[in-house]
Amino acid sequence: MSQDDVAEIAKWKTAYGALRTEMRKAIVGQDHVIEQMTVAMLARGHALLEGVPGVAKTLMVLALSKAMHLSFNRIQFTPDLMPSDITGTDVLQEDPVTHVPSYKFVPGPIFANIVLADEINRTPPKTQAAMLEAMQEHMVSAGGENYALPNPFFVLATENPLGREGTYPLPEAQRDRFLLHINVEYPSGSEEWEIAEKVTGGELGMKALDSIVPVLQPDDLLKAQELVLRVPVSDQVVGYAMSLVRASRPGADAWSHHKAGSDAPDSITRWINWGAGPRGVLTLISCAKARALIHGRYHASMEDVNWVIGPSLRHRIGPNYAALASGITSEEIIDMLLEQVPADKEYSVPTA
Amino acid sequence: MVDENKTVEANDTAAVGKWPEYYKNLMAEVSKVIVGQEDVIEQMVVAMLGRGHALLEGVPGVAKTLMVHSLAQAMNLTFHRIQFTPDLMPSDITGTDVLQKDPVTQELGYKFLKGPIFANIVLADEINRTPPKTQASMLEAMEERKVSAGGETYPLPDPFFVLATQNPLEQEGTYPLPQVQLDRFLLYIKVDYPSLREEWDIVRDVSTGSIGERALNAIKPVLQADDMLEAQKLVTRMPASEQLIGYAWSLSRASRPAGPKDAAAPKSLEEITKWINWGAGPRGVLALINCSKARALIHGRYEATVEDINWIVDSCLRHRISPNYSGITSGITSEDIIKMLQKEIPSDQKFARPTA
Repeated sequence: MSQDDVAEIAKWKTAYGALRTEMRKAIVGQDHVIEQMTVAMLARGHALLEGVPGVAKTLMVLALSKAMHLSFNRIQFTPDLMPSDITGTDVLQEDPVTHVPSYKFVPGPIFANIVLADEINRTPPKTQAAMLEAMQEHMVSAGGENYALPNPFFVLATENPLGREGTYPLPEAQRDRFLLHINVEYPSGSEEWEIAEKVTGGELGMKALDSIVPVLQPDDLLKAQELVLRVPVSDQVVGYAMSLVRASRPGADAWSHHKAGSDAPDSITRWINWGAGPRGVLTLISCAKARALIHGRYHASMEDVNWVIGPSLRHRIGPNYAALASGITSEEIIDMLLEQVPADKEYSVPTA
Repeated sequence: MVDENKTVEANDTAAVGKWPEYYKNLMAEVSKVIVGQEDVIEQMVVAMLGRGHALLEGVPGVAKTLMVHSLAQAMNLTFHRIQFTPDLMPSDITGTDVLQKDPVTQELGYKFLKGPIFANIVLADEINRTPPKTQASMLEAMEERKVSAGGETYPLPDPFFVLATQNPLEQEGTYPLPQVQLDRFLLYIKVDYPSLREEWDIVRDVSTGSIGERALNAIKPVLQADDMLEAQKLVTRMPASEQLIGYAWSLSRASRPAGPKDAAAPKSLEEITKWINWGAGPRGVLALINCSKARALIHGRYEATVEDINWIVDSCLRHRISPNYSGITSGITSEDIIKMLQKEIPSDQKFARPTA
């Protein structure tokens, strides 16, 4: 890590502070959610946002895009939305002068730096797939041409836990493509009181969005994404993250044959259907690094891993029927992992 | 600064004092056409003053369209009715770019033709008869108060107020609005059949043409668009006491069943939450406070009270609370749940800001 990088990292702590100050003009609380969204952006990933309606999800994303000076589009997913409604489509146009007809690509709403994909589970699988493909490849194909999406490109998708009828839940393999799965909770008692008081008096909320000034530029974000790659991680932290993920995989099959790639103790194995794959470890490490950057630290720590583990693994661990029947969620399995995997053990590069 | 605040307050108090007169004139005009339904009309005006939109539910033929139309006329606002059908497309509502030849230069160019949503008051009739994508374009325009087409953005007129009606949900060929979308409506107003005496008068007077549709032309504008815009700002500036906020806050939070990590509802109210699938979010709290302030304005009071909340609570929360299966099988509706909450949380207790 060069001296320049060290100076850059130091600047980021101030930059994030300024970002939070701007966002507080519109939003009360939700510090964790905002930090997690920023971590996902810096780690070049996308995030799934889950929460009841009316907890300011759209407002948060809007405020973030304003403070970062990024373009923003919202796509409302519905059961009758078609892939081309998202990506765009070729239309036949006549040249005003020569009158020669030709095809012209009209970009869809996905062409923005930040895209809020609202209620993604209300749309049929083909349309979901078009969205997920564009997310992954950072480009759109239409009529034999490829069109690059803007950079930075960040998708925040919401899934509503309510009104599950008529929804097409994302398959687990598709959820794995989201770097983080962020839970948005109801505000605390005193936060909600403040919201009630200020929003009805014309402060905060949508009306306050105009007062948010950009404190970052798209270029800053692109540079930071590069910088995150260079933040060093010790063997200790890598070893810890790997142990956590490997302990989330069922350790033995029904015939007590030990499975490769798993170190799960029986107390955890009995609750899980499947655990986190290699993407889980990668997520833990890159998000821990991104978080270190936000806090102006020069390396990712165990504490960073502990902080990102919830949103990193929540959607990558599948509780089995026994767990569901006992009311054990993936959150609780993560708590068990944190209890069982020692943080003070010395980790090193495995020999085999 | 203090003096300035005092002047604003004095001016606002005076402005609030004028509203009972305005409202009386408004009702005098509307009653040229409509018999009764005072509560429904008051709730519509409350939603307009609270800068929200309302969903109207009622059997066909209870003068829903007429009410909205006469309000628009008495407020001198433009009015459009959109009939939602299964084959309506988003651009049928918002408008579309059409290719036009310039009459002089003969050059071809696109011109945006505004859809029927461009009006101050829009009646979205039978919104649940249209497929979700069309519903979504309507709801998006409602929320953002603008329409995007061909890469351009067109702002909707201000004031802008949507009244949507729903067919009774059990009917065939409907696409029910998801609960999440319902939350976007400030109020969910129920229109009942007229009383015995009112219906008698309706029969007498409509059949002679002295009220009803034919009388619409007799309505004179007694308010202007600017009056409404001023009043909306006034409602925002009107104070909300700790008692008002506390009551709205307690009702909404008590309607949420305690999830695994979110124990919003106090222990004493667990008996109620066992019937609830989900409760009112922060939008519920905001709706209660905004609407009680708007109602206080109509009645010429500078400060809203818990009584105002009790008057509006059904319309604010009925679409934000959903009973669970055991609630439904026991015949408990969201209105029953609201009643239980009101009983358990007396509005005359002392509310105070929570410390943490």
